[in-house]
Amino acid sequence: MSNIVLTLENVSKYFGAITAADNINIDVGQTEFFALLGPSGSGKTTMLRMIAGLEIPDKGRIVIGGKDVTNLPPYLRGIGMVFQDFLLFPHKTVAENIIFPLKMQKSSEAEKRENLKWVINLVHLEGLEGRYPHQLSGGQKQRVALARGLVSRPSLLLLDEPLANLDRELRKEMEVEIRRFQLELGIPFVYVTHNQEEALTMSDRMAIMRDGKMEQVGKKFSLYHRPTSRFVASFLGSPNMFKGRVSAIDGAVATLDWNGHAIKANVHHGLKLGDDAVCYIKSEKIHLQSGKGAMSGNIRDVIFKGQYADFLVVLENMQEITASDSHREQMVEGAQVHVTWEPENADAFPVED
Amino acid sequence: MKNNRFFFWSLAGPGSVFLVLFLILPLISIIVFSFWRTESYQLYADWNLDNYRVLATNASYATFLIRSLVMATVVSAVSLVFAWPAAFFITRYGGQFKIILLLLTSTPFLTGEILRVTAMQQILGPIGLINMALGSFGFDPIAFIMYTNTSTAIGLVYLWLPFMVLAIHLSLLNFDFELLQVAKVNGARPLRAFWEITWPLNRAGSAIGVVLVFIPTLASSIPSKFMGGPNGSLFGNILANQFGSTGTWALGSAMGVVLFLVSMLVLFLVWKSIGDPKRSGITIKGGG
Repeated sequence: MSNIVLTLENVSKYFGAITAADNINIDVGQTEFFALLGPSGSGKTTMLRMIAGLEIPDKGRIVIGGKDVTNLPPYLRGIGMVFQDFLLFPHKTVAENIIFPLKMQKSSEAEKRENLKWVINLVHLEGLEGRYPHQLSGGQKQRVALARGLVSRPSLLLLDEPLANLDRELRKEMEVEIRRFQLELGIPFVYVTHNQEEALTMSDRMAIMRDGKMEQVGKKFSLYHRPTSRFVASFLGSPNMFKGRVSAIDGAVATLDWNGHAIKANVHHGLKLGDDAVCYIKSEKIHLQSGKGAMSGNIRDVIFKGQYADFLVVLENMQEITASDSHREQMVEGAQVHVTWEPENADAFPVED
Repeated sequence: MKNNRFFFWSLAGPGSVFLVLFLILPLISIIVFSFWRTESYQLYADWNLDNYRVLATNASYATFLIRSLVMATVVSAVSLVFAWPAAFFITRYGGQFKIILLLLTSTPFLTGEILRVTAMQQILGPIGLINMALGSFGFDPIAFIMYTNTSTAIGLVYLWLPFMVLAIHLSLLNFDFELLQVAKVNGARPLRAFWEITWPLNRAGSAIGVVLVFIPTLASSIPSKFMGGPNGSLFGNILANQFGSTGTWALGSAMGVVLFLVSMLVLFLVWKSIGDPKRSGITIKGGG
């Protein structure tokens, strides 16, 4: 990774008995879009607040641009941040809101004018400079919040679920825009969200958090296709879960006995012969064909989504799985089908993991 | 519709009747009296502008009015400075004790006004706690807190401070403290964040507090009577005299009308200074 801008080194944070961050290590590079993804309460917002200086870690170091900022107050860190509820200043106009960081830095009037013009063009807020926040739509407020975070051209932009309060259509549009801003500015964005679609759409790399722990960090593709943690395997995409006993192990591939069906899967976390295992496989990696095969069953229901459909199939061993595949007209309720998948797309973990 | 009207009057009715009976009627009678004449403790209904002529030409009345205005300004300003940290603390860090802390600000009212003022003398006066203590260590007493306008001001701040704290607290309850974090992340030091965000967004609370302190101070007479010393009389003392020892009720009524008009002017100016409530914090979270 070229040119690291942000480093978290063994960072821990406790709120009473709750561990909000447990020995976290992250590096974020100069041109990276880094997503922190996790369910609510997983500690991702605390991480962001520690980077911003709104919380001080109990252990560890935070380095921004080569400078140790662990104990620096937020106003000396020189970073931008976009908040979940926009949090615009209601008594300031759009322009006043946006140039607030420059005003705090005592920038010259010329610089304020120039940066304001640049950022207003960037986020498409032309003509709204004199409005007050209560006169704006949700999408416009979001753009103002983004502009305020970007106007001083910070070395790092933090985003805390910035799209959570927007409707779906607007969110889709903003996802693309935010990614465009990041590419245009060439600064790292650290983006907190509980919405995996957002994280997968925008980010280069992502970290998945649970209970204050980092479950897995890496490129989004490797997290999605090659999960190394049971939680990540179960969290990303819409995976099927099977439970079975390991009946054979051949190097990194295990064979599980799943109610009479033998299924092959990648071995994780020291899975041994005879162990009870859980196996995850994403529904779109299951292929569906008409007729009988090694693993056959009947379609119980078809949920048509347009480009594809979710087929709920009850197999001969009475287990139900969901396969997402292109919709074909002969694939109707009751039709006999058989399913296949590449063994490398299934991941098995010890049950007690 | 009929039901609605009943609902409206059952809410607005009792208060309206009370106001008409005990505020509007007395006010009208004072306005009427101010154009009458008193002689030997008797009111005579011969309409004239004499009382207002006296108030306008005799410089001492203007002096007392100006002194009261200055006093009210100083007392409001000092109360504002003292009340802000207290109200901020109660709202931000009061937690489960918020209500108790707020109720405790009413402690000064647990005794009567005269008793409270007398108690202040025990602290500030020549044989009061401060000066006795100084004297016993061989220091000179502090002259400016003994029977001066300063001691009146201290007494008045003490009297009206709870109203200021209450007004600011209620305003802060409606304030989104997260905005301060936004300001800090964007480079504002704590004092700057206060000045840029907290203060303007709670302007209405401060303004209401100022009204609640300024207007009673303008009319007050008791603290200055007990603590003000020989040159400490305020407009309120002179007004009270007209209804007491001198028995010039008509002149007193005219003074009351002047006081009323000045208070209305203050209210108007404060209202103007608040501006658009959507931007001054009143309706950020609440209705409207």
